Amino acid sequence: MPHNLTLADLTERSGLDVLDHLERAVTVPVIDGLQAQGDLIVVPYALLDAVQTAPGARWRPVPVSGVELLRSASGGNPHSLVADPGGCRWTTDVRDPSGLALGVLDATGTAYLIHPEHGGTGIAPGTYVIRRQREGAAESRRRRLIAD
Amino acid sequence: MNGRNGPSDPIIDLLALRRAVQARDEWLDHGLSTAPADRATAEHAISGLYRLLNREPPRFTWVDSPGAMLAPDPPVAPVVPGPWLRDALALDPDPDTAPPVAAQLATLVSSLRRTLDRRIDQRFKLWASRFSARDSAAARLQPPEAALRDGVNGVLLLKTTVDESLHGSLHDAVRAPLRRAFAQQGGGPSDLAWFGQHDAHWVARYDVVDRLGLLPISGAERYQLDLWCALARSCGWWWPGEDVCVISERPTALHYEPVPNDAHGGVRLHRDHGPAVVFADGWCVHALHGTHVPAWVVSVPTVERITAERNVEVRRTAIERIGWDAYIDRAGLRLAAEAPDPGNPGFSLRLYDSPSEEWGTPTRVLLAVNGSVERDGRRRKYGLTVPASFDDPVAAAGWSYGLTGTLYARLARRT
Repeated sequence: MPHNLTLADLTERSGLDVLDHLERAVTVPVIDGLQAQGDLIVVPYALLDAVQTAPGARWRPVPVSGVELLRSASGGNPHSLVADPGGCRWTTDVRDPSGLALGVLDATGTAYLIHPEHGGTGIAPGTYVIRRQREGAAESRRRRLIAD
Repeated sequence: MNGRNGPSDPIIDLLALRRAVQARDEWLDHGLSTAPADRATAEHAISGLYRLLNREPPRFTWVDSPGAMLAPDPPVAPVVPGPWLRDALALDPDPDTAPPVAAQLATLVSSLRRTLDRRIDQRFKLWASRFSARDSAAARLQPPEAALRDGVNGVLLLKTTVDESLHGSLHDAVRAPLRRAFAQQGGGPSDLAWFGQHDAHWVARYDVVDRLGLLPISGAERYQLDLWCALARSCGWWWPGEDVCVISERPTALHYEPVPNDAHGGVRLHRDHGPAVVFADGWCVHALHGTHVPAWVVSVPTVERITAERNVEVRRTAIERIGWDAYIDRAGLRLAAEAPDPGNPGFSLRLYDSPSEEWGTPTRVLLAVNGSVERDGRRRKYGLTVPASFDDPVAAAGWSYGLTGTLYARLARRT
């Protein structure tokens, strides 16, 4: 996708909606580094040595209508990854010792994350790990995963 | 032919899917109904089930709520496993020891459900198959008609939009919290009760496939299914005894909201002020955005109660009622450290000591500010528990994503 879309452009292209109090006319920034959207974080793949895509990982194209990355247990609002056809692929076949990786995206064009409450954010071409958030005590084996 | 529905499965076309969605919504309405019970229909249906067991129809006692069965002397004694269970499991049961009617009914209905499930599996080869996460996601994400046009398998859509949707809305969102409340108040397992309108999700599975003309069903099977359908349309929970059957009225009020962004009409309990489900005698259940909570969370969420609460979901819901800021202030949590929030200019991360003796393992609370504004223009603050070993708020925030503090400090943007 182009790198100078507004939130209004983005919702129109993807068909995904955001809450109406969010500012739609401003251009959505495109970031090539570390960024967070609520309980998700996008980390350049090169920065996380411990995370590896599995050999023979199944990659699937990210459609303009989006891939739902995470939705909270009681329904909640989803984080969706959207991109132009052919502009981004996504795999969940990932090894992450922290257990927090949802998957890895590999974008040749600009990809976007959309969430109804958090709005949109752009991801510059590149390869990134998307992780979710946890809370709890380090000693606890049953750490709570966050889904807002 | 090898269509999208596989080599032998019946085709679920747009028209069939529309009829299925309509039937789903009818069953959802029955499951959420707050109308007075249709007593004649309910008694007639239960009498029919007793006759299928070669028993005389019972006398009926009506109560206002399931809570009435929690009284010290409930109208029907709870069924406890006795010699009948041993006999039922034995190869040659003692014919003189008849199992309780509740146990016989359980056998009757599980046999019907097993038979019909097997028949659906045979009729739709794809019903029983495991779909990939990708197909399942494609079915879940879009409204059923759009998904069908998009090439998503019709049988998968039927399962998703009828079975899964009603299971989520009625079994998980309504029946489960009511059963939990019943058990917590001393009702013990309500396994030998039936749920009337809250059985609608499983009744609907067979009824909808049959309404589409796709379920080979015998007259006797349809007769029994109709009795269960009639109960789901007419009354609340019921307890079958040997001579007396207790039936509960439906609730007088039930507050719910659509599950956000659910393409399949799912609902969840929610009421901001007061109980979400109320019966005529006052028996009730509280829920906030689908989370079943004790009454105090809705009415008076005090710091003392929050601190004493062991359930992390309940605690979080209660804290969010008063706001993390207010909670930390009123609970007098000590600020251990504060640092600018990377990627969230103008805001800071704060690390507080938590009341660890009450919350078990030593932890601290990291208070952060959302990267996006709420409807009222303010930014929501939220707390996360983190290991007590952290002294640096940035390192604690990094840990929550499995990152070092140094790496997290490079966060360019937060939305």
